[in-house]
Amino acid sequence: MTSDYKRFALTRAGQAVVVVLLAYVLTFLVISVLPGDAITNTLRDPQHGLSEEDIQRIVAFYGLDQPVIVQLLLSLGRFLTGELGFSLQSNLPVSRIVGDALPSTLTLATSALVIAVVFAVVIAYGAQYLPGKWAAIVRSIPSFFLSVPNFVIGLVLIEFFAFRLHSFTTTDPNSPVATLFAAITLAIPVSAPLAEVLIASLDHESRQEYALVARSRGLTEATLFAKHLVKPSALPSVAMVALIVGELLGGSVITETIFGRDGIGTVVQKAVTGEDQPVLQAVVSLSAVVFVAVNLVADLASPLLDPRVKLREKVAA
Amino acid sequence: MILKTKDTNVSADLLTVRGLSIAYGSTAVVHDVSFSLAKGGSLALIGESGSGKSTIAKAILRLLPHGEATATGRVELNGSDVLALPEKQFRPLRGRELGFIPQDPASALNPVRTIGAQAHEAAALLGETDPAVRRAKILEVLDQVGLPDPARVYDSYPHQLSGGMLQRVLIALTVLPQPSLIVADEPTSALDVTVQKLILDMLSDLRRELDISLLLITHDLAIAAERADSLVVLKDGAVQESGASRDVFASPRTEYARSLQADVPALHPDRYRRKRTLLTQANDGGFRTDTAPSPTAQLQIDVRGVTKSFPAGGKDVLACDGVTFSVERGRTHALVGESGSGKTTAVRLLLGLEQPDGGDITVAGQSTSGRSRADVREIRRHLQLVYQNPFTSLDPTWRVGRIVREPLDQFGVGTKAERTHRVSEALEAVGLPSDVASRRPAHLSGGQRQRVAIARALVVRPDVVVLDEPTSALDVSVQAGILELLTTLQHELGLTYLFVSHDLALVRQVADTVSVLRRGQVVEDGPVEEIFHRPRHPYTRALLGAIPLAAVSTEEQTALKQPAKATA
Amino acid sequence: MTATLGYPQLRNVGTASKRLTAGLPPITVILSFAVVLLVILWSLVPWLFTSYSPVTGDTASKLAAPSAQHWFGTDYLGRDQFARVVYGTASSVTSALVAVLIGLVIGSLIGLASGFRGGWLDSVLGRFVDVLLAIPGFLLAVVIVSSLGFQTINAAIATGVSAVAVFARLMRAEVMRVRSATYVEASYLEGGNRLHALLGHILPNAYRSVLVLAVLQFGTSILIIASLAFLGYGDPPPASDWGLLVASGKTYVTAPWLVYAPALVIVGTVLSVNRISRWLRKAK
Repeated sequence: MTSDYKRFALTRAGQAVVVVLLAYVLTFLVISVLPGDAITNTLRDPQHGLSEEDIQRIVAFYGLDQPVIVQLLLSLGRFLTGELGFSLQSNLPVSRIVGDALPSTLTLATSALVIAVVFAVVIAYGAQYLPGKWAAIVRSIPSFFLSVPNFVIGLVLIEFFAFRLHSFTTTDPNSPVATLFAAITLAIPVSAPLAEVLIASLDHESRQEYALVARSRGLTEATLFAKHLVKPSALPSVAMVALIVGELLGGSVITETIFGRDGIGTVVQKAVTGEDQPVLQAVVSLSAVVFVAVNLVADLASPLLDPRVKLREKVAA
Repeated sequence: MILKTKDTNVSADLLTVRGLSIAYGSTAVVHDVSFSLAKGGSLALIGESGSGKSTIAKAILRLLPHGEATATGRVELNGSDVLALPEKQFRPLRGRELGFIPQDPASALNPVRTIGAQAHEAAALLGETDPAVRRAKILEVLDQVGLPDPARVYDSYPHQLSGGMLQRVLIALTVLPQPSLIVADEPTSALDVTVQKLILDMLSDLRRELDISLLLITHDLAIAAERADSLVVLKDGAVQESGASRDVFASPRTEYARSLQADVPALHPDRYRRKRTLLTQANDGGFRTDTAPSPTAQLQIDVRGVTKSFPAGGKDVLACDGVTFSVERGRTHALVGESGSGKTTAVRLLLGLEQPDGGDITVAGQSTSGRSRADVREIRRHLQLVYQNPFTSLDPTWRVGRIVREPLDQFGVGTKAERTHRVSEALEAVGLPSDVASRRPAHLSGGQRQRVAIARALVVRPDVVVLDEPTSALDVSVQAGILELLTTLQHELGLTYLFVSHDLALVRQVADTVSVLRRGQVVEDGPVEEIFHRPRHPYTRALLGAIPLAAVSTEEQTALKQPAKATA
Repeated sequence: MTATLGYPQLRNVGTASKRLTAGLPPITVILSFAVVLLVILWSLVPWLFTSYSPVTGDTASKLAAPSAQHWFGTDYLGRDQFARVVYGTASSVTSALVAVLIGLVIGSLIGLASGFRGGWLDSVLGRFVDVLLAIPGFLLAVVIVSSLGFQTINAAIATGVSAVAVFARLMRAEVMRVRSATYVEASYLEGGNRLHALLGHILPNAYRSVLVLAVLQFGTSILIIASLAFLGYGDPPPASDWGLLVASGKTYVTAPWLVYAPALVIVGTVLSVNRISRWLRKAK
């Protein structure tokens, strides 16, 4: 590892930490803008069945009777030590709620990511190598994917495959087939920007002089694609994949609701309707951590994949 | 040895093109082109942009974007038509029989793969499957093209090598499978002029050794005449004239070929001499027999010992190292150098776009260092710049009238009516019709855009105009028009020019005095005739030697040139 | 630096003028404009398109399939579904406009300052934009809506805030690209100051890409707001935001038109907006 790279890695990592902290603060400020005594309302809601003692303990724990800044610092301090607080609705530790919900969402998100990449590659390859009219149709697919809201996709898939074809039932959301369809729902809007970036890269690289020169050496289109076009086209796509992680997390809220899955998305749903701030705070902050971490990995990997990437910001002349 | 292009014996010709026509959709770009190339010979396709020369080259290699272009006619390689062959049968010919050298070496290699990895593709054409043997052959050919450390080059990425080295690599890879024909598309126009000569020499040597024929595509008539046995002159996709190089060159028959020949700077060094002589008379109020600077003439620009370095890749690169030159009022001084010579930096320091680390810059007797912003602005008013690239120096969202008026608006000159009047004056002076003012740059040709840039520079009536390679982005026929214009304007308006160029032959036509720069230092300076007839520094000599046709004997040159004009 | 420019760059001089004088846009673009125009009219003057009420219905004809009297059928309260869709357009579409405006204005200002000034301002603003990007857009919108209250206008604000980052990034990239253009440097030599460079050269050359993005974001915002409404985070019933219509319709499995009608309207609108955006991008 060269020292340039080490410096680059440290700078990026440092920036990542700053961003996570700021994200936490921003989320906290937004959430705590709740008018008036909403927290106390939630706490005192007889549905939640908390005793006066419990309520006082919670108030003390979160510093709810103190100014916002103090609450923020308390909360941030705890976050940094991994302590995520307790749900206002159920009094369960947030970490447990999140932990229970995580596997379902992870399965969903990873399958969706894989499917999205497959879709994107197939679309991009088709756009490049299919004959004229078909290629034009394929090229407009990403735009179409972006025009359909994912709840419509989900409902249509359920209508068709669950109710008509009985491929799966909505009562068992964690069955492989149900998960597959949920993943497809989540993958479709996410695959669109990925496909567009891939298509643009392939178009760009295919028109480069070196592609012409390689063809002049008798390379077939297939070999050209594999040996020359894939690598430089893959690089902007890797960056895009990192950005997509955010879309996956966001889209899971609706997808899980529709398919009745018990994941992070459903947790968020419940927390919003129940005005359960600690849970919301924790989920959003953790999402930011995941996003920043994935992007950091992508950033650190890019100089290794592309020898041209400059590690130092050029000084403006 | 002059090879006849009349195909008396068809089977002796390696490549025969008959009635080739190419169209993009419904637009025909190449009309009925025919020529032939004998085995072991060389033929140059000459033309400006839009002449179709590159398209023809790609058609021969069948590398035109399929579906977009249709080609009709016959292209015979060793007697059999290859245009009609199905792709599967044609593909084995690529690389093995037909090689291709592209124009820009920097973009001709995949930037994310090593040279060695890409070289294996060329080596595969030899039919050799053992990677060790392939590697040996690759290293051998890299050595053959004069690369000093083949093993290091093998492991390098393209961006780590210079343009000249990359072109050597490309030539090596093309030559490795020993094709019978190489198609070279402007193989040296992206390179410095001294490197150009080395590359072309090397290519000639290889051709002789390996008995390879060459189809050379170029816009440069001089290079074509020097390096090819026969020529085909193209314009707008049709053949204007063809024949043996010496014949076409010495006595062109068509109007177009004649104008191309007339525009080669190296052949007509005295083209603008008459105008410049008049100018000298006007400025000095008397007759002069030479163009040496007189000690009493006022110095418009005086640059002394200027240094400037830039940080690049961790180190500091010295762009200007004690550069000194001066320009007399009303004269043209040229800064000549290749890339990295510092000529552009020197000019930017003069204009105040960069600040010098050391040294002095004086304009019209006033120093520019350590002045306030307002003062520097005043000085700039009398110093204007015409950029090299007319495609990027004009704002595409502005109309021409506003572009030319911008300096007047910004410097607050005159009333609105006066400004409009000055703009039309300027446009007229540069030979543009008045309706051009309401158009956008995108609707204008390269030459027209450069005229707009010149008009913009002149509209504030500066004393000095800095011209940064003002014609290198333009076709050769347009070039002459711009230079003609510049000379006329200098004469009419008494301007002082600082002319930056890499082209010594061009400089000889337009400048009075020259400074030759190399790696940030002035290696030689003096009057233009001195530099050309009695160069002192080896680098100057190398630059002069690299001008195409320099090797042509002086008698032949005299026969080709116009009779020398008597100096006043 | 190369000695001469590559010839391929000189080729395209004439083609620009050809493109600008080309005839009508393609048929799909014209159709798209028509759809968008229709939707805008629905949101401005819904009563011109239907005589039915979106809030009261005739329970006798509830859950009726689409017919000549009820183009989109009726819902469980006998309300005309077409009228519900048309009257719901105002909040679905106007809110998207609000969202885009928020993102465009705030994001552009940030991007402009970042790209033009550079230095520490760029670093600081850059971190802020990174933070907005780090929080998944939809989640951020959800959180903001839950704080401000469940109304469509708040959903619009929330969507706008999560769009700020995208606009800021693009504007910054465009400003930096144009800032280093030769004609900008030339304007300094001609006596121009930085403000002139910014207003006269940088903005006019940078805004085109941003405009294309704005149109695209309009479509995206419609989707996000519809999704928020679907989850119940928009105006409560009897409002008829498109997303809410889908949500309330999905429980009536025997009346699929309750879901498909608003769904098709959403898809049709966003598809048209996307088509227009693509056309604008090509025509740049």
